[in-house]
Amino acid sequence: MARSKPTDPPVDLLGPVQGEVSWFCCGTAWGPCSTTGRGACGTCNSGSLQHAWPNTSDACWAITRPDVCGDSLSRRTCGFRHQTTSLCGGASVITSIADCGPQTDLFCGERSCCGATCASNRLIDLTPAAYSRIASLSTGLRPCEISTA
Amino acid sequence: MTSRRQLLKSAVLGGGATVVAATAMGSLGAEAAFGAAAPQVEPGTPDPDFAEGRIRSIKDNTLLVLGSNLVFRSIRVVDGTSLWKLGPVGFDQAKPGDGLYARGVRMPDGVLAAESVWLNIINIKGHITNITSEKIHLDHHGKEILCHVVPGRSVAIHSDAPASADLSLLRVGQHVQILGAWRPDTNEADIATVFSPH
Repeated sequence: MARSKPTDPPVDLLGPVQGEVSWFCCGTAWGPCSTTGRGACGTCNSGSLQHAWPNTSDACWAITRPDVCGDSLSRRTCGFRHQTTSLCGGASVITSIADCGPQTDLFCGERSCCGATCASNRLIDLTPAAYSRIASLSTGLRPCEISTA
Repeated sequence: MTSRRQLLKSAVLGGGATVVAATAMGSLGAEAAFGAAAPQVEPGTPDPDFAEGRIRSIKDNTLLVLGSNLVFRSIRVVDGTSLWKLGPVGFDQAKPGDGLYARGVRMPDGVLAAESVWLNIINIKGHITNITSEKIHLDHHGKEILCHVVPGRSVAIHSDAPASADLSLLRVGQHVQILGAWRPDTNEADIATVFSPH
């Protein structure tokens, strides 16, 4: 597991940050998703343009710990908007925070690529509605660039 | 250049499933097609060009889907629609009871002209509590999901290494993400891809 010294100040304050993006379900749903609930903000819904961010509160940060992977990220709370751009096709989507996640430290050092374009560490999770705007749900994981919107 | 969205609209307004040729729909390329000319939607709000729920009935080329919000949606499948159920499949693989996510173009009458339909797709994270050559027991938020290895289909991706059909490097206790197809009304799924950080 790759661990490195966290950046200071948070890397996303300096400009767009690159990492991995995946998708997760929330809200009323079918299958294994049916018990996931509406997320840390109480508003999460698979069909809405929303995302999970690893630093929504102290309690959230204590779970996700992106700093363990070398990524300090800014505190952003429910409703804050990020733009996520796929490094594979260039499509982008603007979403608002609805949950805490992903659990970055459990996937430290993971890297995904499109050809020679790669990015490391899970920094954002999108709802299915949002992820499917920038990639097929069947891809599951993609390198991306994240900026404030 | 005619956009993918315009092709979908014309397919439905033309009244048939045979209006749009698959070659024309595929001309944008798989990745480029996503997000192409999609209208802006207020962040945080429901996307009208997206639908989820379970199939209640199928008539001709239309899926009647009961959303998890208990609202019915009609989803029209045309020749260019891509369907996924553990992999690319034909329309005949869609069955009542299947869960789905769909993206397309919402028509004025509320019908979703589908660009993509993902049947029973799940993408869950958890840690492996047991593993055999045929199954992975996954603890997902305290609930066990029994994930079946499908020969010739299931692969593992260890970080940025190429996908491999060899799942023997996965270990009990390890945290993974499993993309697969849920078996409706069970706690079981078939594995498409296991993402492992190392």
